[in-house]
Amino acid sequence: MEDLASRTIDHAMKSGAEFADLRLESSQGTNIVVMDGKTKTVTAQLSSGCGVRAFIDGAWGFAVTNDISQSSLSAAAESAVKMARVAKDRAKVKFKISPVKAVRAVEKYRCGTAPSDVTMEDKVSLASSLDRSMRSTDPRISSTNARYDDFEGERIVANSFETLVRTRETWVLAACSAWAKSDGVIQRGHDAVGMVGGYELMRTEDTLSLGTNAAAQALRLLDSKPAPAGKFVCVLDNKMTGLLAHEAFGHACEADAVLAGASVLEGRVGQKVACDEVTLADDPSIEASFGFFSHDWEGVKADKHVLIEDGILKGYLHNLESSSRMGTQPSGSSRAQTYGSPPIIRMSNTFIAPGDWKKDELLEDTKEGLLIQGSQYGYVEPSKGQFMFKCDEAYVIRHGEIGERYRDASLSGVILEVLNNVTGVADDFMVGDPGYCGKGGQSARTSDGGPHLRVADVVVGGLV
Amino acid sequence: MADLQYLSALAERAVSIATRAGADKCDVVAADTNTISVDLEKGSVKQANIFSDPGVGVRAFAKGASGFAVCTGFDEAAVSRAAAMAVSLARAGTPDKDFKDLPVSSQVTPLPGLYEPSVVGIGPEEVVAMVIEMSDIAGDHKKITSANSSAAVSVCHVALANSNGFSSAQRMTSVDLVVESVARDGEAMFSGYDGTSGRRLEQGAIERVSGKARDQAIKGLVQTKLETGDYAIIMDPLAAGFVLGNAIGGGLNADSVQRGRSFLAGKLGHVIGSPAVSVYDDPTIEWASGSTSFDGEGTPAAKSLLVDKGRLASYLYDSYTAGKELRGSTGNSSRGGSVWSYRHPPSISTTNLVVSPGDSSFDEMVRETKSGAYVRATFDYPNLATGEFSGLMMESYVIRNGELGPAIRQSTMGIGIVDMLSRVDMVGKDTHEYFGVHTPPFRISSARIAGSG
Repeated sequence: MEDLASRTIDHAMKSGAEFADLRLESSQGTNIVVMDGKTKTVTAQLSSGCGVRAFIDGAWGFAVTNDISQSSLSAAAESAVKMARVAKDRAKVKFKISPVKAVRAVEKYRCGTAPSDVTMEDKVSLASSLDRSMRSTDPRISSTNARYDDFEGERIVANSFETLVRTRETWVLAACSAWAKSDGVIQRGHDAVGMVGGYELMRTEDTLSLGTNAAAQALRLLDSKPAPAGKFVCVLDNKMTGLLAHEAFGHACEADAVLAGASVLEGRVGQKVACDEVTLADDPSIEASFGFFSHDWEGVKADKHVLIEDGILKGYLHNLESSSRMGTQPSGSSRAQTYGSPPIIRMSNTFIAPGDWKKDELLEDTKEGLLIQGSQYGYVEPSKGQFMFKCDEAYVIRHGEIGERYRDASLSGVILEVLNNVTGVADDFMVGDPGYCGKGGQSARTSDGGPHLRVADVVVGGLV
Repeated sequence: MADLQYLSALAERAVSIATRAGADKCDVVAADTNTISVDLEKGSVKQANIFSDPGVGVRAFAKGASGFAVCTGFDEAAVSRAAAMAVSLARAGTPDKDFKDLPVSSQVTPLPGLYEPSVVGIGPEEVVAMVIEMSDIAGDHKKITSANSSAAVSVCHVALANSNGFSSAQRMTSVDLVVESVARDGEAMFSGYDGTSGRRLEQGAIERVSGKARDQAIKGLVQTKLETGDYAIIMDPLAAGFVLGNAIGGGLNADSVQRGRSFLAGKLGHVIGSPAVSVYDDPTIEWASGSTSFDGEGTPAAKSLLVDKGRLASYLYDSYTAGKELRGSTGNSSRGGSVWSYRHPPSISTTNLVVSPGDSSFDEMVRETKSGAYVRATFDYPNLATGEFSGLMMESYVIRNGELGPAIRQSTMGIGIVDMLSRVDMVGKDTHEYFGVHTPPFRISSARIAGSG
């Protein structure tokens, strides 16, 4: 496989590329969905292919083949060069890809039990037992959904700087959703675990308790009210702090958005963008997290990147192109969903660092506000400077006491204001809420987290 | 690209292999898709891509349980392995008496407007020319600091066969355009977005979407804040398309309804909207991105009335959910949108969701709104269990005394979907398509807005 990769890169260079790289992959995956006591789908994916990228004078060409024979790979290399030529003829911004030191590595991510060593029957049995655990919780649980995903893949990243990184990657994910019904009211609860690693995660208490957690949330929400609308002081739990870090700042720190002139953080490195207590980082090196990787999809060693330190914007997330154009080093933030997608700048594990407040003291110190719990999803338009993130549930805080419960609501903020409105950072740090982040039509496994965080002037999209 | 005859023969052979391996029922999709796409960043062509994605997806049933396996490429041995694996996966599942059957063999009438030969001839140079033209128009204002555009042109050949003797194939083309303009004025920054998708490049589409993105970016530079309160809201087709596509597409999914997970469960025949609201699903619209001659299981395309003058008329069915109710499928089993994918099992989805137009112009709706907001874009999902919608007004404008004002900064809107549909009191006459939803703008008489003012 390595020889195949090297010959393909050579062919792209001989065909006229100034720089070329590829991702040659072979993978298998499983997806099992159990609904209401029966399997809905049992799916297996066997996939192999290669994406070749060629760069000429400020423009990229990218070509994909599902056939990993030398002739097909050479044809893909030629197509990539041809596409780059077409693009560069109309590229107004000219630049070069700055050479980086060649990386030669063979990586095998930690994996106790390979999912392929577990029978399909055992995996179905696991998903079925998660499904059963929800339904056995309470007769008001009216419908259930348990999901199991695994992935095992071998990826070779090679480029014309003589980088050649071979990575064996395994990840697993399990998720539960429960619907509770009472007096005509339906509510949904959910929980998920995921990590880069093996099937051993499925035998942990975190996994085994997914069903009861999801069911408990759905039941809790049965007597909840719609959230009030307006501007509130909000205390965010660990998951919502993570979602805030990801949506409010992470995306706006992606250097491709900056280069496209589509981030409000353009030109603000070195400036104060948050209160002094806020430090925010993206760290792919956290082992056993869902966002872990050791080298990125351009073969660059991945390390922790502090994006905001003590309130000051320190830098952006980079790939080979953005670092070349902005005169800095690549940060190992380039990722591709599969060989079929060109790599783009992505986050990994994104979090706000812990502060000094005790969580309980932070709540006691809050005269009036909302405690916001559990993250659903969020999105941002860095060019508008606005973002939203949706919680699972919320609670009134009055004079430090937790009061009545509200259900899910959208929270919105302004990128350049929200972290200046932070009035307390707790010390109860936690990273690990797994999810998939979408960007440019690609999905990437990520996680996020942080401590409890108090933020003033958050707009809550309630119904009353 | 593989021709339809080859793909059909391949799909039929895979059906035979899966049946011989013990599948009670099975269906196979063989697809070959070629895509050329080009991205332009800040006025400069950035990347040109060419994708070829041939592959086969096999779904097998054993005692009602389904297994699904895919292989990339058309290698006969790999297809045989996928067929055998699908059967093995089905056997690992739990028996399901609710599965009745796949669609029986039927005559499919090929629809016009799925395949535009001129799209097949579009090469990378032509796609580059498209994004440049988009960028030139989208960036044509002194306050526009960045124009980013992308275009994708796809040709898809697909064949579907099942163990009931169904076998059919079709060719589809697709053209997608997306453009964003970013405007700055001092410290103020705003962006405008627009896009279109269809089975051919419509006359004037490039000028329309690029001009729209540019104009919206400029309009959004002047901003105001809104006090929290109840306001009339005019939903643009962009915002309405995203919300209704998820609320109606998801809420009417018969699987969710049958499991009691949808806020629209038990509401068939009930009033869920004002008499001004009629909605249907129509896979037969010429050149629309969701059109198809047959659905992902082989049910022939047919129009379905979903909401009839405010009354819920039908849910969206595939063969499994239809079998559960001993009724026919509505043909809403999907293998993807404008181009089909072999990589995932079919799932229930709308094809082209259509909201019937009314007789108001947009200007009339604004003129008759004393205090309200025009919401152009939101990308939030309703809670399908409760039917409640709480979402960011990503791009919105204040309406005061019948006049459109500045963009609203940092606001959210909250309303139940049934309340939203029931409070529709004006429906526009001009329909636009976004996200597969063809809808005019419409006015909601009152919704809660949380403002930052």
